[in-house]
Amino acid sequence: MSAPIFVGIDVGSSATKCIVLDAQNTLLGDHVAPSGFDYARSAETTLARALFDAESTSDDIAYCVATGYGRQSVPEADRRVTEITCHARGAREWYPTVRNIIDVGGQDTKIIHLSEQGKMADYRMNAKCAAGTGTFLESIALKLGVTLSELDELAMASTNDTMMNSYCTVFTGTEVIERVKEGQPREDIAMGLFRSIAMRVMEMMSARDGTVAATGGVAAHCRALVRGLEEVLETEVLLPPMPQHAGAYGAALIASESARSAADWRDHVAQG
Amino acid sequence: MTTTTKRVQIKAQQQLKTLMRDYFLDLDAAAKDPGRRVAWCTSVGPCEILSAFGFEVYFPENHGALLGARKQSHQLIPRAVGMGYCAESCSYMNSDIGAAVAGVSPLTAAYGIDGPPKPDLLVYSTNQCREVQDWWSFFGRRHDAVVQGIRPPTHLGEVTPQHVAFVRGLLVEMIEQIESKFRLRLSYDRLEEVVALSSRASTLWREVLATAQANPTPITFFDGVIHMAPVILMRGSMMAIDYYEALLQEMRNRVTQGVAAVADERYRIYWEGMPIWPKLRELSEACINLNAAVVASTYCNSWAFEQYQRGDPLDWMAKTSIEIFINRDEVTKQAFLEAMFDRFKVDGAIFHNARTCPNNTNSRFGMAQRLREQRNIPILVIDGDLADVRFFSTAQTLTNLEAFVEQLEEHKR
Repeated sequence: MSAPIFVGIDVGSSATKCIVLDAQNTLLGDHVAPSGFDYARSAETTLARALFDAESTSDDIAYCVATGYGRQSVPEADRRVTEITCHARGAREWYPTVRNIIDVGGQDTKIIHLSEQGKMADYRMNAKCAAGTGTFLESIALKLGVTLSELDELAMASTNDTMMNSYCTVFTGTEVIERVKEGQPREDIAMGLFRSIAMRVMEMMSARDGTVAATGGVAAHCRALVRGLEEVLETEVLLPPMPQHAGAYGAALIASESARSAADWRDHVAQG
Repeated sequence: MTTTTKRVQIKAQQQLKTLMRDYFLDLDAAAKDPGRRVAWCTSVGPCEILSAFGFEVYFPENHGALLGARKQSHQLIPRAVGMGYCAESCSYMNSDIGAAVAGVSPLTAAYGIDGPPKPDLLVYSTNQCREVQDWWSFFGRRHDAVVQGIRPPTHLGEVTPQHVAFVRGLLVEMIEQIESKFRLRLSYDRLEEVVALSSRASTLWREVLATAQANPTPITFFDGVIHMAPVILMRGSMMAIDYYEALLQEMRNRVTQGVAAVADERYRIYWEGMPIWPKLRELSEACINLNAAVVASTYCNSWAFEQYQRGDPLDWMAKTSIEIFINRDEVTKQAFLEAMFDRFKVDGAIFHNARTCPNNTNSRFGMAQRLREQRNIPILVIDGDLADVRFFSTAQTLTNLEAFVEQLEEHKR
């Protein structure tokens, strides 16, 4: 057995992410793959690839924390912590003074507000609706016949301040068709979609003071999301080095702290 | 979250089952007996008057809750929607109308009866919501029965003698209508007896809820919503009093012996809003597994009325019917919640944003945010519904609940 490693696995509704750290919290390996229908299998293969990347084996795992909607499907996990706490922990490691974390994921959007002391002061999740989530974008991109990255490229080329009138995925789809028919540039329509998400985010923010960072898969793949957020929130939005892995990173940090502490998992939340 | 739920059974549960069975079988018998009359009444409606007149009283909201708890609502609501009732109107109402049209009832499987008893009279009060007038009207038309409603003043701050006198007048008018239509005469001596019994049951229920001030609590909100049935369905009878005397004794014994409703209770939570009936068990187990006890709620306290002190029973009925939480203004509601937070020493509160019940949802005008800031305690708002499971996401809510407990833990430090 070589040096102990600390693993965070984030089994999200769209993608499973894994981070492997050493005892000094240095990144040794990572991997991301679609979650598919079988969360346990996805977690297993993502972990195996991240361990391979880290040149480690499962015998080296000193502690593993699972997070995300599929967190119960990770048999290797020593602890399970919600993605809300994990995203907050990951973002805080990158930006110690961050106060607001915007995580736009496939199935939901979460807004986490931290106190000056770095404690979770408040958090919000979207209601049972796809508005303002990655699924919203994927659905409209499909209607437009482009990929998500092509939609992002189109949006970044927009020079107008187009806004969509609806948050609803279905109604926005109809609105997009109408606008295409009217001859509006696809670039502007695409940027309007990202502003729509940003408007939804603004509704969910209970406070807007302090540093703002964006995490999650949509922020990782779509520069236009950050552009839309900055325009709507009228503030700089920080994009960490591995936005999609923020939850897994936070989970790995909590795993590292857990291994060092004899206390139960609740102690980890307050650390960092 | 682990899945080793440890729940301590309340012994009075068996007595409750018998009580409920007897209640529904007697209602069924009354509906089939030409010599007896059945009245339907809203849950905080003037049921004491109906009992004093000699009606057997049935409460349709209880049937709505049963349809939700038995996970039947979402299959029945579309029938009501097809008849023109909005899908986002009260899911109790839509479930109940849908069930009647479909000819199904959870009472059949539970007690072997066809369903709710056929009414001779339907009485409502809009002190909880205006939806009941359309709900009652539907069944009035369906059964060709008399519908009587009172519409008291709503959203009250201070409840003044003028308010009470006005509502008393509405009750007198209703009594006169019933006397005229059914050729009956109300005995005020009998009404006074029924009100005294009703008040006694309510007081005992309040004392049962008060035992949750103990740490650890002997009873949670999830127990309360089951054990409150007699104070709604049978208040004004000795059955309810006998039951709550037994339940109160059991809870007091639990406190003395340190028996906890939630093993290793670490977090004390307040529940504001309606129960999520189809998900009650899952939420209860999730809380137990998180060592979180929901120790108090607005909902269970809705039937903890001020004690009746002899005098005019109609005055007591008028006053208690309009001073309930749901009928008050935002300032009064917030003051009540803050007092409850202090009294039950809660670490945080959950507000249920019930999609089809705006009147019993208090997170829509900034109250959760104000309490969070003014009281400096974590407050979670969860989206759901009282009966329609289509407005609820289990995975999302459980993640919310777990994150809330993580936040409570941070807050304790």
